Amino acid sequence: MAASGKATVVLKAVKKITVQFCPFESNVRSTREFLVMVGSEKARSTNINCEVIPLVKHDKSAPVVDITYLDGDKLVLKGANLTSSEMLNAFQSLCTDKDLQAKAAAAKK
Amino acid sequence: MHILKQKLMAVTEYIPPPRVIPPGAYPYQRKRVQEDSPLTLIMKRHLKTVFEDSKMIAVVQNNASNADNMMVLKHRLHKHGIAVKFFPNQVVQSFLEGGLHANMAPLFIGPTVLFVSSEPKVKEMLSALRASQQMTLLGACIDDTLLSAQAVVSYSKLPSVSVVQGELVSGLTMLTSHTASMLQRHPAHLSALLQQYVKQRSSDGGSEGAPKAEEAA
Repeated sequence: MAASGKATVVLKAVKKITVQFCPFESNVRSTREFLVMVGSEKARSTNINCEVIPLVKHDKSAPVVDITYLDGDKLVLKGANLTSSEMLNAFQSLCTDKDLQAKAAAAKK
Repeated sequence: MHILKQKLMAVTEYIPPPRVIPPGAYPYQRKRVQEDSPLTLIMKRHLKTVFEDSKMIAVVQNNASNADNMMVLKHRLHKHGIAVKFFPNQVVQSFLEGGLHANMAPLFIGPTVLFVSSEPKVKEMLSALRASQQMTLLGACIDDTLLSAQAVVSYSKLPSVSVVQGELVSGLTMLTSHTASMLQRHPAHLSALLQQYVKQRSSDGGSEGAPKAEEAA
Protein backbone atom coordinates (compact mmCIF):
# COMPACT_ATOMS: atom_id res chain seq x y z
CA MET A 1 0.00 0.00 0.00
CA ALA A 2 1.55 3.29 -1.01
CA ALA A 3 2.05 5.42 2.06
CA SER A 4 2.04 9.02 1.04
CA GLY A 5 5.22 10.92 1.83
CA LYS A 6 5.84 10.49 5.53
CA ALA A 7 5.28 7.00 6.81
CA THR A 8 3.49 8.08 9.97
CA VAL A 9 0.29 9.96 10.30
CA VAL A 10 0.45 12.89 12.66
CA LEU A 11 -2.75 13.30 14.60
CA LYS A 12 -1.79 16.25 16.75
CA ALA A 13 -4.64 18.53 15.77
CA VAL A 14 -7.30 15.85 15.67
CA LYS A 15 -9.91 15.26 18.30
CA LYS A 16 -11.87 12.31 16.94
CA ILE A 17 -11.94 10.10 13.88
CA THR A 18 -15.06 8.05 13.14
CA VAL A 19 -14.70 5.45 10.40
CA GLN A 20 -18.00 4.00 9.31
CA PHE A 21 -18.33 1.22 6.74
CA CYS A 22 -20.31 -1.83 5.77
CA PRO A 23 -17.92 -4.76 5.36
CA PHE A 24 -20.10 -6.68 2.91
CA GLU A 25 -19.92 -3.93 0.30
CA SER A 26 -17.27 -4.02 -2.38
CA ASN A 27 -16.09 -0.42 -2.13
CA VAL A 28 -14.75 -0.47 1.41
CA ARG A 29 -11.16 -1.53 0.78
CA SER A 30 -9.74 1.99 0.80
CA THR A 31 -11.66 2.93 3.94
CA ARG A 32 -10.42 -0.13 5.77
CA GLU A 33 -6.84 0.57 4.74
CA PHE A 34 -7.25 4.16 5.90
CA LEU A 35 -8.49 2.86 9.24
CA VAL A 36 -5.46 0.61 9.56
CA MET A 37 -3.06 3.44 8.84
CA VAL A 38 -4.78 5.86 11.17
CA GLY A 39 -5.27 3.33 13.93
CA SER A 40 -1.70 2.09 13.93
CA GLU A 41 0.49 2.40 17.01
CA LYS A 42 2.68 5.13 15.54
CA ALA A 43 -0.25 7.29 14.62
CA ARG A 44 -1.87 6.80 18.01
CA SER A 45 1.34 7.65 19.80
CA THR A 46 1.41 11.12 18.22
CA ASN A 47 -1.78 12.00 20.07
CA ILE A 48 -3.06 9.77 22.81
CA ASN A 49 -6.20 11.82 23.38
CA CYS A 50 -7.42 11.33 19.85
CA GLU A 51 -10.12 8.68 19.56
CA VAL A 52 -10.33 6.39 16.56
CA ILE A 53 -13.78 4.85 16.45
CA PRO A 54 -14.65 2.22 13.84
CA LEU A 55 -18.35 1.66 13.22
CA VAL A 56 -19.45 -1.47 11.43
CA LYS A 57 -22.86 -1.17 9.81
CA HIS A 58 -24.93 -3.32 7.50
CA ASP A 59 -27.18 -0.90 5.66
CA LYS A 60 -25.51 -0.72 2.23
CA SER A 61 -24.44 2.82 3.01
CA ALA A 62 -21.29 4.30 1.51
CA PRO A 63 -18.16 4.25 3.66
CA VAL A 64 -17.54 7.59 5.37
CA VAL A 65 -14.70 8.91 7.50
CA ASP A 66 -15.67 11.75 9.82
CA ILE A 67 -12.78 13.70 11.35
CA THR A 68 -13.26 16.32 14.04
CA TYR A 69 -10.39 18.67 14.77
CA LEU A 70 -9.51 20.36 18.04
CA ASP A 71 -10.66 23.75 16.75
CA GLY A 72 -14.05 22.40 15.78
CA ASP A 73 -13.54 21.90 12.06
CA LYS A 74 -14.87 18.78 10.40
CA LEU A 75 -13.51 16.83 7.48
CA VAL A 76 -15.73 14.28 5.77
CA LEU A 77 -14.07 11.76 3.45
CA LYS A 78 -16.41 9.66 1.37
CA GLY A 79 -14.35 6.59 0.64
CA ALA A 80 -16.56 4.91 -1.94
CA ASN A 81 -14.55 6.10 -4.94
CA LEU A 82 -11.29 7.15 -3.34
CA THR A 83 -8.10 5.22 -2.83
CA SER A 84 -6.57 5.07 0.62
CA SER A 85 -3.53 7.11 -0.43
CA GLU A 86 -5.75 9.90 -1.76
CA MET A 87 -7.68 9.97 1.49
CA LEU A 88 -4.48 9.98 3.46
CA ASN A 89 -3.04 12.81 1.34
CA ALA A 90 -6.07 14.99 1.83
CA PHE A 91 -6.15 14.24 5.53
CA GLN A 92 -2.46 14.89 6.06
CA SER A 93 -2.44 18.15 4.08
CA LEU A 94 -5.25 19.49 6.23
CA CYS A 95 -3.50 18.26 9.37
CA THR A 96 -0.27 20.00 8.47
CA ASP A 97 -2.18 23.20 7.71
CA LYS A 98 -3.81 23.06 11.10
CA ASP A 99 -0.48 22.32 12.72
CA LEU A 100 1.12 25.34 11.09
CA GLN A 101 -1.78 27.53 12.13
CA ALA A 102 -1.52 26.32 15.70
CA LYS A 103 2.26 26.84 15.73
CA ALA A 104 1.89 30.32 14.32
CA ALA A 105 -0.69 31.16 16.95
CA ALA A 106 1.56 29.77 19.69
CA ALA A 107 4.58 31.69 18.31
CA LYS A 108 2.60 34.94 18.29
CA LYS A 109 1.75 34.47 21.93
CA MET B 1 -22.57 1.26 -62.22
CA HIS B 2 -21.51 -1.09 -64.94
CA ILE B 3 -20.97 -4.65 -63.68
CA LEU B 4 -17.32 -4.66 -64.72
CA LYS B 5 -16.69 -1.47 -62.81
CA GLN B 6 -18.54 -2.94 -59.83
CA LYS B 7 -16.37 -6.05 -59.94
CA LEU B 8 -13.24 -3.95 -60.19
CA MET B 9 -14.28 -1.84 -57.23
CA ALA B 10 -15.05 -4.95 -55.16
CA VAL B 11 -11.69 -6.54 -55.93
CA THR B 12 -9.66 -3.40 -55.28
CA GLU B 13 -11.36 -2.53 -52.03
CA TYR B 14 -9.03 -1.21 -49.38
CA ILE B 15 -8.34 -3.77 -46.63
CA PRO B 16 -6.63 -1.99 -43.78
CA PRO B 17 -3.75 -3.80 -42.09
CA PRO B 18 -4.79 -5.55 -38.82
CA ARG B 19 -4.51 -3.16 -35.96
CA VAL B 20 -1.88 -4.16 -33.46
CA ILE B 21 -3.14 -3.82 -29.90
CA PRO B 22 -0.33 -2.84 -27.55
CA PRO B 23 0.28 -5.74 -25.14
CA GLY B 24 -0.76 -4.00 -21.94
CA ALA B 25 -3.93 -2.30 -23.20
CA TYR B 26 -6.63 -4.87 -22.53
CA PRO B 27 -6.83 -7.16 -19.50
CA TYR B 28 -5.75 -10.74 -19.98
CA GLN B 29 -8.63 -12.70 -21.43
CA ARG B 30 -7.63 -16.12 -20.25
CA LYS B 31 -7.51 -16.32 -16.48
CA ARG B 32 -4.13 -17.01 -15.04
CA VAL B 33 -4.58 -19.84 -12.59
CA GLN B 34 -1.49 -20.66 -10.67
CA GLU B 35 -1.09 -23.99 -9.01
CA ASP B 36 -1.29 -23.77 -5.26
CA SER B 37 1.96 -24.09 -3.45
CA PRO B 38 2.21 -26.93 -0.92
CA LEU B 39 1.95 -24.50 1.99
CA THR B 40 -1.26 -23.16 0.52
CA LEU B 41 -2.59 -26.70 0.24
CA ILE B 42 -1.79 -27.40 3.87
CA MET B 43 -3.46 -24.18 4.94
CA LYS B 44 -6.51 -24.97 2.85
CA ARG B 45 -6.84 -28.38 4.44
CA HIS B 46 -6.55 -26.78 7.86
CA LEU B 47 -9.15 -24.20 6.90
CA LYS B 48 -11.48 -26.94 5.74
CA THR B 49 -11.27 -28.77 9.07
CA VAL B 50 -11.72 -25.49 10.90
CA PHE B 51 -14.85 -24.62 8.96
CA GLU B 52 -16.29 -28.07 9.44
CA ASP B 53 -15.60 -28.36 13.15
CA SER B 54 -16.49 -24.95 14.42
CA LYS B 55 -20.04 -23.76 14.80
CA MET B 56 -18.99 -20.17 15.25
CA ILE B 57 -16.52 -18.35 13.01
CA ALA B 58 -16.08 -14.64 13.62
CA VAL B 59 -14.07 -12.30 11.43
CA VAL B 60 -12.37 -9.45 13.24
CA GLN B 61 -10.15 -6.70 11.91
CA ASN B 62 -7.22 -5.69 14.08
CA ASN B 63 -5.43 -2.47 13.31
CA ALA B 64 -2.04 -3.03 14.82
CA SER B 65 -2.64 -4.40 18.29
CA ASN B 66 0.66 -5.13 19.93
CA ALA B 67 1.86 -8.48 21.23
CA ASP B 68 0.74 -8.11 24.88
CA ASN B 69 -2.78 -7.07 23.87
CA MET B 70 -2.94 -10.11 21.60
CA MET B 71 -1.74 -12.39 24.36
CA VAL B 72 -4.26 -11.06 26.85
CA LEU B 73 -7.03 -11.42 24.30
CA LYS B 74 -5.94 -14.93 23.36
CA HIS B 75 -5.86 -15.92 27.02
CA ARG B 76 -9.33 -14.54 27.64
CA LEU B 77 -10.78 -16.28 24.65
CA HIS B 78 -9.01 -19.55 25.40
CA LYS B 79 -10.78 -19.73 28.72
CA HIS B 80 -14.05 -20.02 26.84
CA GLY B 81 -12.70 -22.38 24.22
CA ILE B 82 -12.38 -19.84 21.39
CA ALA B 83 -9.30 -20.20 19.22
CA VAL B 84 -7.64 -17.31 17.41
CA LYS B 85 -6.46 -18.15 13.91
CA PHE B 86 -4.46 -16.24 11.34
CA PHE B 87 -4.66 -17.05 7.66
CA PRO B 88 -3.49 -15.10 4.63
CA ASN B 89 -6.40 -13.42 2.87
CA GLN B 90 -5.55 -14.83 -0.54
CA VAL B 91 -5.72 -18.40 0.70
CA VAL B 92 -9.01 -17.81 2.45
CA GLN B 93 -10.56 -16.12 -0.54
CA SER B 94 -9.50 -18.83 -2.95
CA PHE B 95 -10.80 -21.42 -0.49
CA LEU B 96 -14.16 -19.75 -0.07
CA GLU B 97 -14.76 -19.10 -3.76
CA GLY B 98 -16.90 -22.02 -4.73
CA GLY B 99 -17.87 -23.29 -1.30
CA LEU B 100 -20.75 -22.83 1.09
CA HIS B 101 -19.44 -19.73 2.76
CA ALA B 102 -18.70 -17.85 -0.46
CA ASN B 103 -20.53 -14.78 0.80
CA MET B 104 -18.01 -14.32 3.55
CA ALA B 105 -15.29 -13.59 1.01
CA PRO B 106 -15.66 -9.76 0.95
CA LEU B 107 -14.96 -9.64 4.68
CA PHE B 108 -11.39 -10.82 4.29
CA ILE B 109 -9.65 -7.61 3.27
CA GLY B 110 -6.84 -6.06 5.24
CA PRO B 111 -5.46 -7.42 8.50
CA THR B 112 -8.06 -9.95 9.65
CA VAL B 113 -8.15 -12.51 12.41
CA LEU B 114 -10.48 -15.47 12.70
CA PHE B 115 -12.08 -16.47 15.98
CA VAL B 116 -13.31 -20.02 15.79
CA SER B 117 -15.06 -22.10 18.39
CA SER B 118 -17.22 -25.17 18.44
CA GLU B 119 -19.82 -23.52 20.65
CA PRO B 120 -21.39 -20.16 19.94
CA LYS B 121 -20.26 -18.23 23.00
CA VAL B 122 -21.04 -14.82 21.73
CA LYS B 123 -21.38 -12.83 24.94
CA GLU B 124 -17.91 -13.69 26.19
CA MET B 125 -16.40 -12.96 22.81
CA LEU B 126 -18.11 -9.59 22.63
CA SER B 127 -16.96 -8.61 26.11
CA ALA B 128 -13.38 -9.60 25.28
CA LEU B 129 -13.52 -7.58 22.07
CA ARG B 130 -14.93 -4.54 23.81
CA ALA B 131 -11.96 -4.55 26.16
CA SER B 132 -9.43 -4.30 23.32
CA GLN B 133 -9.78 -1.10 21.36
CA GLN B 134 -8.13 -2.15 18.14
CA MET B 135 -10.27 -5.12 17.21
CA THR B 136 -13.40 -4.49 15.18
CA LEU B 137 -15.96 -7.22 14.66
CA LEU B 138 -16.85 -7.39 11.00
CA GLY B 139 -19.17 -10.37 10.84
CA ALA B 140 -19.67 -13.93 11.94
CA CYS B 141 -20.95 -17.24 10.65
CA ILE B 142 -22.85 -18.98 13.44
CA ASP B 143 -24.51 -22.33 12.74
CA ASP B 144 -24.04 -21.84 8.99
CA THR B 145 -25.82 -18.49 9.11
CA LEU B 146 -23.98 -15.38 8.06
CA LEU B 147 -24.48 -12.57 10.56
CA SER B 148 -23.44 -8.95 10.52
CA ALA B 149 -21.94 -7.18 13.53
CA GLN B 150 -25.27 -5.89 14.80
CA ALA B 151 -26.86 -9.28 14.22
CA VAL B 152 -24.20 -10.82 16.44
CA VAL B 153 -25.06 -8.39 19.20
CA SER B 154 -28.76 -9.21 18.97
CA TYR B 155 -27.90 -12.92 18.85
CA SER B 156 -26.10 -12.56 22.16
CA LYS B 157 -29.22 -11.04 23.70
CA LEU B 158 -31.43 -13.99 22.70
CA PRO B 159 -32.62 -16.21 25.56
CA SER B 160 -31.66 -19.88 25.58
CA VAL B 161 -33.35 -22.49 23.37
CA SER B 162 -35.48 -24.02 26.16
CA VAL B 163 -36.89 -20.62 27.12
CA VAL B 164 -37.77 -19.85 23.52
CA GLN B 165 -39.39 -23.26 23.09
CA GLY B 166 -41.43 -22.76 26.24
CA GLU B 167 -42.61 -19.40 25.00
CA LEU B 168 -43.57 -20.88 21.64
CA VAL B 169 -45.53 -23.74 23.20
CA SER B 170 -47.36 -21.40 25.56
CA GLY B 171 -48.24 -19.08 22.68
CA LEU B 172 -49.61 -21.92 20.59
CA THR B 173 -51.69 -23.48 23.34
CA MET B 174 -53.06 -20.15 24.50
CA LEU B 175 -55.96 -20.28 22.06
CA THR B 176 -56.95 -23.85 22.83
CA SER B 177 -56.80 -23.25 26.57
CA HIS B 178 -58.94 -20.15 26.11
CA THR B 179 -61.54 -22.21 24.20
CA ALA B 180 -61.53 -24.93 26.83
CA SER B 181 -62.01 -22.43 29.66
CA MET B 182 -64.88 -20.77 27.78
CA LEU B 183 -66.62 -24.11 27.29
CA GLN B 184 -66.27 -24.96 30.95
CA ARG B 185 -67.35 -21.55 32.18
CA HIS B 186 -71.06 -22.32 32.49
CA PRO B 187 -70.85 -25.60 34.43
CA ALA B 188 -68.12 -24.12 36.62
CA HIS B 189 -70.32 -21.13 37.39
CA LEU B 190 -73.26 -23.41 38.11
CA SER B 191 -71.26 -25.62 40.47
CA ALA B 192 -69.87 -22.57 42.27
CA LEU B 193 -73.37 -21.17 42.77
CA LEU B 194 -74.66 -24.53 44.07
CA GLN B 195 -71.78 -24.83 46.52
CA GLN B 196 -72.49 -21.36 47.79
CA TYR B 197 -76.18 -22.28 48.14
CA VAL B 198 -75.26 -25.43 50.07
CA LYS B 199 -73.06 -23.45 52.41
CA GLN B 200 -75.75 -20.88 53.06
CA ARG B 201 -78.44 -23.48 53.66
CA SER B 202 -76.19 -25.55 55.92
CA SER B 203 -75.29 -22.48 57.90
CA ASP B 204 -79.00 -21.45 58.21
CA GLY B 205 -80.71 -24.71 59.20
CA GLY B 206 -78.70 -27.92 59.73
CA SER B 207 -80.59 -31.03 58.53
CA GLU B 208 -83.39 -29.18 56.65
CA GLY B 209 -80.93 -27.63 54.26
CA ALA B 210 -79.09 -30.91 53.47
CA PRO B 211 -81.93 -32.96 51.82
CA LYS B 212 -83.05 -29.91 49.82
CA ALA B 213 -79.54 -29.35 48.64
CA GLU B 214 -79.37 -33.04 47.67
CA GLU B 215 -82.58 -32.66 45.66
CA ALA B 216 -81.27 -29.63 43.91
CA ALA B 217 -77.93 -31.30 43.06
